[in-house]
Amino acid sequence: MSGQSSPTFGNLDWEVTPYTDLLEHVNSSTIIGAGAASVLVLGAFAGIALLTYMRWWKPLFRDWLTSADAKKIGIMYIALALVMMARGIIEGLVMRAHQATALGALDKAETGLVAPDHFAQLFSTHGTIMIFFVAMPLLIGLINFVLPQQLGARDMAFPVLNQVSLGLTAAGAGLVMVSLLIGDFGTGGWTMYPPYTGLDYSPGEGVDYWLWAILISGVGSTLTGMNFAVTIFKSRAPGMHLMRMPLFCWTSLCVAIMLIYAMPALTVSSAMLALDRYAGFHFFTNASGGNMMNYANIFWMFGHPEVYILILPAFGVFSEISSTYSGKRLYGYTSLVIASMSIAVVSFMVWLHHFFTMGQSAGVNIAFGIATMIIGIPTGVKIYDWMATMWRGRVRITAPVVYLVGFFLLFVIGGLSGIILANPSIDYQVHNTTFLVAHFHNVIIPGVLYGMLAGVHYWFPKAFGFRLDESWGRRTALLFVGGFIFTFMPLYVLGLMGLPRRSPTFQDPDFLPWMYIASFGAVLMLAALFCLLWTFWKSYRHRMSLSVPGGDPWNGSSLEWSTPAPVPEWTFASIPKVQARGDWGETKRAGDPWRAPDSYADIEMPANTAHGLIIAGMAFALGFAMVWHIWWLAALSFFAITAALIWRGMRVIEPRIIPARQVEEEDRRFREYVAGATPITRADEESERNRGVPDCSEFAG
Amino acid sequence: MTRPNTGELQPEEAPGAELKSYAVGLLVSFLLSAGAFAAAFSELPTNWKVIIICLAALLQIMAHLRNFLHLNFSGGQSREDLLLVMFSVCLLVIMAGGTWYIMSDLSGRMHQNGADHAMERPAASQGL
Amino acid sequence: MSSNNGLYPGLNLGSVHDEAHQQAEATVFGFWVFLMSDLIIFGILFASYASYLNPIGMAGAPGPQALFNLKSVAIQTAFLLFGGVAYAGVSLSMKYDHGAKKLIGWLLICALLGGGFLFFEISDFIDQAAKGGKPQASGWLSSYWLLVGLHGFHVFSGIVWILAMVGQILTRGVDDVVKVRLSMLGVFWHFLDLIWVGIFSFVFLVPLA
Ligand code: HEM
Ligand SMILES: [Cu+2]
Repeated sequence: MSGQSSPTFGNLDWEVTPYTDLLEHVNSSTIIGAGAASVLVLGAFAGIALLTYMRWWKPLFRDWLTSADAKKIGIMYIALALVMMARGIIEGLVMRAHQATALGALDKAETGLVAPDHFAQLFSTHGTIMIFFVAMPLLIGLINFVLPQQLGARDMAFPVLNQVSLGLTAAGAGLVMVSLLIGDFGTGGWTMYPPYTGLDYSPGEGVDYWLWAILISGVGSTLTGMNFAVTIFKSRAPGMHLMRMPLFCWTSLCVAIMLIYAMPALTVSSAMLALDRYAGFHFFTNASGGNMMNYANIFWMFGHPEVYILILPAFGVFSEISSTYSGKRLYGYTSLVIASMSIAVVSFMVWLHHFFTMGQSAGVNIAFGIATMIIGIPTGVKIYDWMATMWRGRVRITAPVVYLVGFFLLFVIGGLSGIILANPSIDYQVHNTTFLVAHFHNVIIPGVLYGMLAGVHYWFPKAFGFRLDESWGRRTALLFVGGFIFTFMPLYVLGLMGLPRRSPTFQDPDFLPWMYIASFGAVLMLAALFCLLWTFWKSYRHRMSLSVPGGDPWNGSSLEWSTPAPVPEWTFASIPKVQARGDWGETKRAGDPWRAPDSYADIEMPANTAHGLIIAGMAFALGFAMVWHIWWLAALSFFAITAALIWRGMRVIEPRIIPARQVEEEDRRFREYVAGATPITRADEESERNRGVPDCSEFAG
Repeated sequence: MTRPNTGELQPEEAPGAELKSYAVGLLVSFLLSAGAFAAAFSELPTNWKVIIICLAALLQIMAHLRNFLHLNFSGGQSREDLLLVMFSVCLLVIMAGGTWYIMSDLSGRMHQNGADHAMERPAASQGL
Repeated sequence: MSSNNGLYPGLNLGSVHDEAHQQAEATVFGFWVFLMSDLIIFGILFASYASYLNPIGMAGAPGPQALFNLKSVAIQTAFLLFGGVAYAGVSLSMKYDHGAKKLIGWLLICALLGGGFLFFEISDFIDQAAKGGKPQASGWLSSYWLLVGLHGFHVFSGIVWILAMVGQILTRGVDDVVKVRLSMLGVFWHFLDLIWVGIFSFVFLVPLA
C-alpha cells in the first residue's frame, strides 16, 4: 500500500497483492503467501469453470441461492463452513510447521517457515475463520436444517430474513477470503485487542478487514438468533409443547437467546474500535482518556456466551444421537433442559475470566472465578445423562457414536483444564501460554467440531436421500480424535514449560520434541479433512446402494424421521399433531406409523427471491469499500441496501402455492414405497438392506 | 398475507378507554420529566438529586411500557412481550452492572492516589 | 376488557383470519426480540458512558458543565414525548378504520415532531463541537457522541421508516402487511422515547446534578 489515497480506488493499488512481496523477496514466507493467494484464485476459476461446464449456474441460482427454504439455507451454511474449514485447518498445519522450525536465538529473531508478521496473520485469520466462519455457520446451518423439521414447522418464522442472514455471513467470510489476495489481514489475533489494533500501531487495512467481516456477519447472526427464537416460540406444530421438544430444539433456543443478547456486545466493541480507527475517536487509545480495558470487557461480554453458543448445539446433537444409537429414551430429559438453560444464563456472568490478569482486585476475580466453576455443574450433569442414556442400551458403533465417545473422553479433559483455569491464581501462571491454546482447542474440537460432524453424518440422509459410508465415517472420526490428541496434548506441556501463545519464535530447545509431536498431529488433522471429503465423495458414488427413501434409517424418534428422504421442500404433507415427547417413536410403538393424512391442502411456501443475494453483494461491497477507503462505493452500497429494503417493502409479495394434488401424489408414492419395503432391524442398519424403513417392533426407546 | 382488512371489532370496544390510557401516560411522563429537570436545577444535595432523577426515570419507563407499549400481565401476547422485556432487563443488569463493577474497580486501582481519587464515584461523592 | 385483549394495539385483522393473526403476532414478537438486542447495545453504551465519566476519561477536554444545554434537552424531551404520544393517533385510526387519510396525517405529525427533535439535537451537537466538544477530544466525548448520536440516528431511521410507510399506504393501501408493519413501527417509535428517558436522565441530568 503506498501513501496516497485516490478518490476512485481509495487505498487500493497494484502493490497490495502477495505477488509483489514475492517479487521483492523470495523466501518461504512470501512463497506461502503467494501460494495461498493462487489457491484462492485458481479455486475460484475452477469453480466458475465447473459451473459453466456442467451448466450448473441456472440450477444454482434457481434452486439454491434464491431459495428461502430453511433446509437449503442450512445446507449452504454448512457448505460455506466446510470450505472455510479447509482453509482453517491448512493454516493450523502451516502454523505448526512454522513453530516446529522456529527455534531461534536471542540475537536471531526471525526463524522458521514464515515471517513473524505472516505468522501473526495466520493465527489471526485462523482464529477468526474457525470461530466465526466455521463453527458458527456449521451450527447455524445444522439448526436451520433440523429445527423446523423437529418442531413440525414448514420453515423458519422469517424465511427471507434467514436468507439475508446467510448472505451477510457469506459476505463476511468473503472479506476474510479476499484478504488473502488483496492486502493483508490484521495481526491482532481473533480478539483484536487495542491499543495494538488502533491506528497508531496497526495502520493499514488489516484490522479493518477483521472489523467489517465481524460487523457484517455479526448482524447476520443477530438476525438468525431472532429468527430461531421466534420460530421456537411461534411455529411449533399443534401439541408440541415446550417440554415435548427434542433436546436439540432446546439447545437451539439457548443458542438463539445467546445470539440475541451477546452479539450486540461484539457489535458495540467492534463499532467503537472502528470509530477509533476511522474517525479519530478515543474509546481505546492510549491518549485522551481512552481506556483499552473497556474493549476487553465488552468483547468478552460477547466472547464468553459465544463459546457456549458454539458448544450447546453440539450438546443437542449428542443428546439426539446418544438416544437414537442406543435405542433408548433420553435419560433425564428435564435435567438436560434445566442444565442447558442454566448454562445459557450463567454464561452471561463469567466473562471476566478471560482477563483475570488485567489488574482488577482479587475480590472481583474471585467472584467471576466462582461463577465460572459453577458452569461445570450443569455440564457435568449432561455428561452423566448421556452416559446413563447409553447404559445398557444396544449401542451401535456408527460414526456419530465414535465422535460421541471421543467427545466423552476428550471434552471432559478440556472441561477440567477449564476448571483449573477458572482459578485466578493458577490462571496468573498459565494465562496467555499454549496451555490456554490447548484448553480451548480441547473443548472446541471434541465439542463443537465432533458434535457438528456427528450431526452432519446423522442428518445427511434426510438432506440428500442416502447415507454416508459408515466405514469411512468411522475412519474420519478416529483420525480427528487421534489428530486432536497428538496436536494439542503437547501444547499443555509446552504451556506449563512457559511457551507463550502466538509466539513466532522461541529459544528453548527442550520445546522441540513437543513441537514435532504437535506437527505430526496437525498432519493427522489434515488427513482427517481429506478423509471427510473422501467420505462424501465415496458415498455420493454409491448413493444408490446407500439410499434410504423410507426416511428413517436410524429408527429415530423425533418428527424429522417421519418424512421421506430426501425431505420434500414442504417437509410435512400435513402438519403433524403431536401427542407426546418423541412423538414419532411413540407412533411407531403404537404400530402403523405411516398412515396417510385424511386430507391434503394447498401449501403456501415463501416465493424464491434474490433479496438475500442482493443484500449480500451490497454488504460485501460496503465492507470492501470501507476497508480500502473507497468512500463513494461505501456510500453507494449503503444506500443500495436501504433502497433494496424499502423497495421490497413497497411490493406485494405473493407466496408460492403448492397444489394439494402434487403434495398428495408425492406423499402417496412415499407411503406406497414404505409399505412395500422390508423393514430392517438395527443389526442390519449398516447393510444395503437399510432402505430407511425400520422394524417398528424393535422400537424399545 | 395480503387479505383486505375485514375490520371486525368487538362491538363493545371504543377508542375512549385507549385514549384515556394514552392521556394518563402522557400526563405522568410529562410530570416525571418536569420533576427530573426541576430536581436537577434545584438546590437539593447531589445525592438527593441523583436519586430523584433515577426514580423518575424508572417510573417513567414503566409508564411508557404500560401506557404506550401496552405491556401487562393480562395474558396473551402482551404478557409474553412483558416477560421478554423483563428477561432482557435482567441480562442487561448483569452486563451493565458487571461493566460498572469491573471498570470502576479497575479505574480505582489504576489511579489510586492524589487528585484522581475523587473520580471513582463521580457524582455521588461530591455532595457529601 | 374484550377478548382482543393481549393483541397488539392497532392490530385489527379480523378474527376470521386466525392464521393472519398468528403470523402478525409472530412478526411483531420478532420485532420485539430485535429491539431487545438493540436495548443491549444501548445498555452497554450507557455503561461505557458511565465508565468514561471521570476526569481521566474527560482528559482535560470540555466536560458536561461546559457543554450541556439543559434547556435544549428539555425541548427535545418534549418533542419526543409528544411525538411518541402522537403515534397513538396512528394506532387508533388504524384499529378503528378511520381511513388512510387520517392515518397518513398522524404519521406525518409524528415525523414532524421527530424532525423537531432532530433539529434541536443537531444544533446542540454543532454548538458543542464549536466549544471544543468534538468526539475526538476525549474518551468521554467519544462515548457521549456515540450514545446520543446512535439514538439520534434511530430517530432519523424512524422518520425514514414513517415516510416509507406513507409510501406503502399510498401504493398498496392499508392491507394486513402494512398494518403489521405499522404496529412494529409503533413499537419502535415508543421504544426510542423510552431510550431517550434514559439519555436525558443519565447522560444529561445526573452529571450535572
Ligand atoms: C484442525 C486443526 C487445528 C489446528 C492444527 C489448529 C492450530 C492452531 C494453532 C497453531 C494456533 C495458534 C496457537 C498460538 O497462538 O500459539 C491456533 C489458534 C487458534 N485456534 Fe486453532 N487449530 C485447529 C482447529 C481449530 C478449530 C476447529 C477452532 C475453532 C472452531 C480453532 C480456533 C482457534 C482459535 C480461536 C485460536 C486463537 C487465535 C488467536 O490467537 O487469536 N482452531 N490454532
Ligand atoms: Cu469464557
